[in-house]
Amino acid sequence: MRALAIAWKDVRHTYRSFAGLAMMIIAPLLLAGAIGAAFGGGGGFSVPITKTVVVDLDGGAAGGALVSALTSERLADLLAVTKTTDAAAARASVDTGEAEVAVIVPAGLTAALSAASPAPVDVEIYKDPTSTLGPAIAGSVVQDLVQSLNGARAAASAAAQLAAMQGITDSARLTALAAKTAQAFSADAQKGGTYAVGSRAPVTPGGSGSTKPNTAGQILVGMMLFFTLFGAATPARSIIDEQREGTLSRLFTTSTPRSVVLGGKYISVFLVVLLQTVILLVAGRLLFGAHWGSIGPVIVLVLAGALVAASLGLLTVSYAKTPAQAGGGSAGIFVFLGLISGSFTGTASIGGAYDVVRHISPLGWLIDGWNHTMFGGSWGGIVVPVLAALAFAVVFFGVATFFFRRRFA
Amino acid sequence: MDAIVVDKLRKQFDPPKGPVAVDGVSFAIREGEIFSLLGPNGAGKTTTISILSCLLKPDAGEADIGGFSVIRKPDEVKKLIGVVPQDIALYDDLSGRENLMFWGRMYGLSGSALSKRVDEVLELIGLTDRQKDRVDKYSGGMKRRVNIGAALLHKPKILYLDEPTVGIDPQSRRAILDGVKDLNSQGMTVLYTTHYMEEAQELSDRVGIMDHGRMIAVGTQPELVRLVGEKTRIDLGVDKDSHQLAEHWRALPGVASVTEEEAGPLSILAEDANTLMPLLFDSARAAGARVTKIDLAEPNLEMVFLHLTGRALRD
Repeated sequence: MRALAIAWKDVRHTYRSFAGLAMMIIAPLLLAGAIGAAFGGGGGFSVPITKTVVVDLDGGAAGGALVSALTSERLADLLAVTKTTDAAAARASVDTGEAEVAVIVPAGLTAALSAASPAPVDVEIYKDPTSTLGPAIAGSVVQDLVQSLNGARAAASAAAQLAAMQGITDSARLTALAAKTAQAFSADAQKGGTYAVGSRAPVTPGGSGSTKPNTAGQILVGMMLFFTLFGAATPARSIIDEQREGTLSRLFTTSTPRSVVLGGKYISVFLVVLLQTVILLVAGRLLFGAHWGSIGPVIVLVLAGALVAASLGLLTVSYAKTPAQAGGGSAGIFVFLGLISGSFTGTASIGGAYDVVRHISPLGWLIDGWNHTMFGGSWGGIVVPVLAALAFAVVFFGVATFFFRRRFA
Repeated sequence: MDAIVVDKLRKQFDPPKGPVAVDGVSFAIREGEIFSLLGPNGAGKTTTISILSCLLKPDAGEADIGGFSVIRKPDEVKKLIGVVPQDIALYDDLSGRENLMFWGRMYGLSGSALSKRVDEVLELIGLTDRQKDRVDKYSGGMKRRVNIGAALLHKPKILYLDEPTVGIDPQSRRAILDGVKDLNSQGMTVLYTTHYMEEAQELSDRVGIMDHGRMIAVGTQPELVRLVGEKTRIDLGVDKDSHQLAEHWRALPGVASVTEEEAGPLSILAEDANTLMPLLFDSARAAGARVTKIDLAEPNLEMVFLHLTGRALRD
């Protein structure tokens, strides 16, 4: 009861401070909202539609296939395609900024593909040099199709050679066979083929992929984990403040054991962080429509995060002798752990070699857990991240307790 | 029966080169007594109280409070004592009542007993009307009263007050001194530290005089004054070199001691002030000096300190 009385007093003190609230609640929400808006208004990462002009000077099957691919339904969110017959006008529209990219299919593309010894023919991508993403998408589509046409031509040639080796000499039959092979290859390539390169998003480890978290939510997770460290440091620093102001000494003259006094302080740090996390999660849901995942894993992650923050907050105060020392030292440690873990970009930053480095911070592990549950993952995927984070918490707590015991022995 | 027994207490900070704050201090306080530790700042009073409050462990010596050792039975000792620290040790963002409720819980009170006791203490310190105001809205005197009230919640048998009147107005000071007397009249043993001679004189049954970590005298006021003898203190201000005059005056018959204070009057302890005064004036005139100020004081604790240390208490 006495420990809870101390804890309650400190929680009240912390949440009565506007500066504390600004750091613990307002700052992470503002940053998450701002960064989320910059990356698509909270509805996920989005790419603006690229105005594209297509000129089909070929008029044959190959040109038609290219135009058809660029105007297909699946690219409608990415490319707004306008067809024209004048290559110069198409280039001019890019020059004037009316379009970002022009795709010019040269005359004779189909003929070149079916000729016995074709001359090289290039499909022209004329693009605005300041625009990168849209032209890259259009170029990628054209590249894919041209490669499949080249493949069809190679397949037809191989089929004709095989037929000739088997004694078929009728040129009409060989031509028909080559055309049929090319057509079959081309059709197979366009519908996806039997064999395909799998494409997986590394941001959905273990998750079903059925849940699509929004950007602000993803950012807020990182911000929340980062700012809970500061949230923990505030009540933890009250140990030094009270020592300086004489109330800690006075507490030690009462019949309340020192272990209970320090226990009360520990509880207050944990409760402050726990409350801060819950407020941020609720605010994230209400303000950004963020989806955090199943309630069970979310509770476990919240508790684990609060334990990590509380133990680290206590650790950074345990060795300090003055509030300034505690403030300066802890801020440096928190920023380092935040940066290394990817807290500033939340679950949106996971991937690559950085994925290994960021696990030297407990926040990196917690982000893994949140990432898993936000993408619809279940219990299994959070076990390792939570255990790793708790291991950090145990070490931090042990070292902090060692220092405090030595200090108040 | 003794409520507090202190035996050869010693405490050195940052040994081996740090200052010895308490150096072999011994004294005893009887039950129901007001005992004052009198001494200038840095004499070792607060360190002694800190040891008796179980906040500091002594390097050597022993102290028993109500029969319990501060070293071996600190938990038992803490149940017996109430400590009023020198600095205000309250939570500014809590009201007076909330502070008392909190400290009451720290002393193990709870429920209606706690609430009732807080009401009593608020009445005792005269802050019932202002109990809901935050402490940071209180005057210095009101804070001092809450500071004392917080130490009374568990009805301690022994109360330590460490310089409780520093920096407050005369009215609040009067209220605190009267309050201490009231508590003592109800049977509470009081250990009171101060560097104000007047407070020690007014309150104390016995006084312990400390200087440089040592207890230099212990006794009732008459006992201590007898150390000086029936001497009168004469403070004389002169307009010339006081050092030269001091040498002359030390040689006069009936002069027990002459103390020179920097930029202050010369303090003379006289066996018989009536006989000595004309001699002092004659001597000053002969030296070409003029007496600009004269002050006579009957034997008191200030003079005892002066007699024992050669320095004024305010030094």
